[in-house]
Amino acid sequence: MAENSPDLGGKIGYVVLGATKAEDGTRSVSYRLGGESDLPFIGMKTSLGSIPLVAFEICDDPSYWSPIVTSYTGDLVSDTPEWATAAEQQYGADLVRLYLTSTKRRGFDDFPSITKVTEDVLSGTGLPLVVEGSNEPAIDSEIFQRCGEAGQGERLLLGTAEAGRYRSVAAAAMAYNHSMVAQSPIDINLAKQLNILLREIGVKADHIMIDPYTGSLGYGFEYSYSVMERIRYAALKGDTDLAMPMIASAMDSLSVKEVREADPVIRDDIAVAWEFYAALSSAVAGASIVCVRHPKTVPLLKLAFRELWAGKKPGEF
Amino acid sequence: MTEMKTAITLGNASLKKKLNAIEGPFAYEETAYHLPVAYALTGRPVHTAQEAIEVYNLTDENPFVACESVLAFSEQGPGREPAPYTGFIGDAVLRKLGYSLVDGSILGLALVIGTPGNSDTASRICRELQEKYMLTFLAGDVVPSLSSASVKLGLEYRLIPLGSTSIHGVHFVDIITRVALMFGGVVPGDPGRLLAYANQRAKAIAIVFPGLDNEGIALVDALRLLGIPILSLGGYEGGEWTTTLPQDAVREGMERKGIKVTVTAIPIPMSCSPAFEGKSIRKEEMYVEFGGGRSPAFELLRVKPASEVTDGLIRVMGPEIESVKEGSAVPLGIIVDVAGKSMRKDFEPVLERRIHNFVNYGEGSWHVAQRDLIWVRISKDAVKNGIKIEHIGKLIATKFRIDFPDLLDAVQVTMVTDLQAVLAGKKEAEGIYEERDRRIQGMKDTDVDLFYSCTLCQTFAPNHVCIITPERPALCGAISWLDGKIAYEISPSGANQPVEKGVVIDRDKGEFEGVNRFVKKASHGEVERCSLYSIMEYPMTCCGCFECIALMLPEVNGIMVVNREYKGDTPSGMSFSTLAGTIGGGAQTPGFAGISKNYILSDRFLQDEGGIERLVWLPSLVKEELKERLVKKLNELGHPDLFEKIADETKATTLEELVAFLDEVQHPALAMKPLL
Repeated sequence: MAENSPDLGGKIGYVVLGATKAEDGTRSVSYRLGGESDLPFIGMKTSLGSIPLVAFEICDDPSYWSPIVTSYTGDLVSDTPEWATAAEQQYGADLVRLYLTSTKRRGFDDFPSITKVTEDVLSGTGLPLVVEGSNEPAIDSEIFQRCGEAGQGERLLLGTAEAGRYRSVAAAAMAYNHSMVAQSPIDINLAKQLNILLREIGVKADHIMIDPYTGSLGYGFEYSYSVMERIRYAALKGDTDLAMPMIASAMDSLSVKEVREADPVIRDDIAVAWEFYAALSSAVAGASIVCVRHPKTVPLLKLAFRELWAGKKPGEF
Repeated sequence: MTEMKTAITLGNASLKKKLNAIEGPFAYEETAYHLPVAYALTGRPVHTAQEAIEVYNLTDENPFVACESVLAFSEQGPGREPAPYTGFIGDAVLRKLGYSLVDGSILGLALVIGTPGNSDTASRICRELQEKYMLTFLAGDVVPSLSSASVKLGLEYRLIPLGSTSIHGVHFVDIITRVALMFGGVVPGDPGRLLAYANQRAKAIAIVFPGLDNEGIALVDALRLLGIPILSLGGYEGGEWTTTLPQDAVREGMERKGIKVTVTAIPIPMSCSPAFEGKSIRKEEMYVEFGGGRSPAFELLRVKPASEVTDGLIRVMGPEIESVKEGSAVPLGIIVDVAGKSMRKDFEPVLERRIHNFVNYGEGSWHVAQRDLIWVRISKDAVKNGIKIEHIGKLIATKFRIDFPDLLDAVQVTMVTDLQAVLAGKKEAEGIYEERDRRIQGMKDTDVDLFYSCTLCQTFAPNHVCIITPERPALCGAISWLDGKIAYEISPSGANQPVEKGVVIDRDKGEFEGVNRFVKKASHGEVERCSLYSIMEYPMTCCGCFECIALMLPEVNGIMVVNREYKGDTPSGMSFSTLAGTIGGGAQTPGFAGISKNYILSDRFLQDEGGIERLVWLPSLVKEELKERLVKKLNELGHPDLFEKIADETKATTLEELVAFLDEVQHPALAMKPLL
């Protein structure tokens, strides 16, 4: 295989998530992502890159969440901090990703609740936290300011910035020293353009993770895979505007027809399989963080990554 | 009148005296930046009178350092001024302000200072600043003046009373300084970067009423170093402040600093979105139509000096919709006047083309063609919902402001429906169209140093790079050199980038060192060389959007061109779609090139292969479309009979037929230097 691995010369930059006590935060662990100099599994074992992390996704209003997850998980979903605790202690996730789905409610204006839930989840888990703010441009400014402030010192990953809508996320990341997710719709040029826009308003490259947008398996995943490979390849060939670690979440996995309409007896298994293969494939395409929602997917992915990456730890090459 | 030079000298002397009078330790509260200006300039944390004086001397007696030392000393503990005055603003609040600046919910910062003669003027200026999303800081006499006019003050109103004296204005500077340190990556002790940040990035202006004391004058005048425009409302003589009128101060300041208010909503009773672009309005659905051969109509976009354009002004000259009979055809002139610091005359046609898109964005409005050929309809439903002709103007004006925020400062639209006025306007417009055509047609590749790239298609053709020159439009035919230029100015990090020509490597082939360098980088190392005027060696890559394909036919020593619309067989033995599949995807295929239709008419077309004399086959549809211009060009070249010698599908669809035809007409390509 080694002959397929030309020396590309470039290297992916680093992004730090979470801050431990020693780093003036309260997390029990922090991660340094990035540093790859090859595509995973193309070259020799030495170029595999760091072992990917598994983020478990939760939300603060489960009425907007997949019924497969809510019915499997039960009452726990209505206690967001407890859910975060479970993600760490029961499911064994590496990160927690909190979606502030409450902001989807029509006319949402309970801004203090945003500060509270972010702080509570930070108390509920010692893992580094990804926070997904509002879905409504009109309240972005207020929401992201609060997320950023509530997590000050914790080196959060804030999401999600898009081309037409990145200022509030960027402002929160800059004001409170967090990193941010820059998402583009399966398009390498738009990914690059967004990163340039972020650079222009002053976000540093080591505070950005690229989300190339992950289609669900069977519903466009192959496009995502191809774009992830191309982003990584361009970065390794020296394009520093794309040389950031990637995050992938095939969030539509639980709502595709095959999963939704599966026989109730095996529905959880189908859901887990759907999430598992999309996440595993994303990691093979170069993602540093993969995100899932079904508790049973987490240990499976961890096992697969351990086997494939031969027991490496985060940040170890 | 205060004489500035003397005032500045006296002000600085008085500040120095005050500075020398302070003693002991002191500090601002709630900040990690000590005395922010002193810290940013020198990297030294100042906490005692002794240190303050040292830094003051170190910074060539900087008045900001003097002011902040004096205030930090005098305002400690009980010295702090009571509400509404805020005094020094702590880091936590500042972080939020900085957030709002990055986030765009605040567009910029303004300092209003001095003694307003009447509080109405002051409150009007402050209201205008509020309306334009500026965060306004107030220092000195302007505060009681506003309070007396019952103007509400405080952070929530974006009007912040810093303190009772003019030197409290220094808090405006310590805020800009800390924003630079927190958000701008400026490092303490690096005055060069601080000044660069303040000049280039900080969106700040100062508006000065008359009656400022000497210390205040010294302080405000020092703002010039930070690149902050100082707009004086009179009362100061000499010096370098800009004197202006109260009603112009805010606009002028914002313009000077390039601060723009963004518009997002289109205030008309009709939905507007690209989603409606594809819909058409059939005759039965139509309330009124304009142009399309049924009535005279035209559209024209002109750049004008800022003083002649009132932003947002929409006028209708002639009958409005109420006095128009349902189902009728009415004359129409759409005149768009624009102004903008970086707007130029050669952008006019590019922007004018956007009127087409904008009118089509309206759910009940429809537009086709361009210039004096336009055809516009408004639907019955739209008229029922209250749409007037005026609203179409409003839609156009607002969309221009939304889509070109950096280019245009003001847009006004005149909708002319009066027959005589339309006829007169149309005549004038036609003169302008002609002039424009001459300008673009006259442009040569040798007249410019920069070409433009287009990598829009890298989404699906990863290594494809189009190089667009005045004489070679993009292969899709949709982007001319001027379009590339304007696209770059509008979106500097977009898909159209300037390409330095650099040293000429081969004049005939059109190979340039700069172009090669650019193409190599933009193609991620895949393409090393690119000839702009040859299809035989290192031709440009092809994405898949080409209007036509040009390819060599070695058997007849010529080159054929086939367009996308042509579905039949070609003498090459391949159809357009087979050819497209062979050469697309970003590959460089010697002997083949994707081209636009207009490029066929260019002097650079097949330059290295001997020019248009090489053209042996062209489908009749394109031949017909280009006929007038092509015949004219061939005449100029001294080949009046060549047009008839170029075969089309009625003459030949196989190579054998083509050979026979070319022999019969004695096509010049047969006698040219062998292609291979």
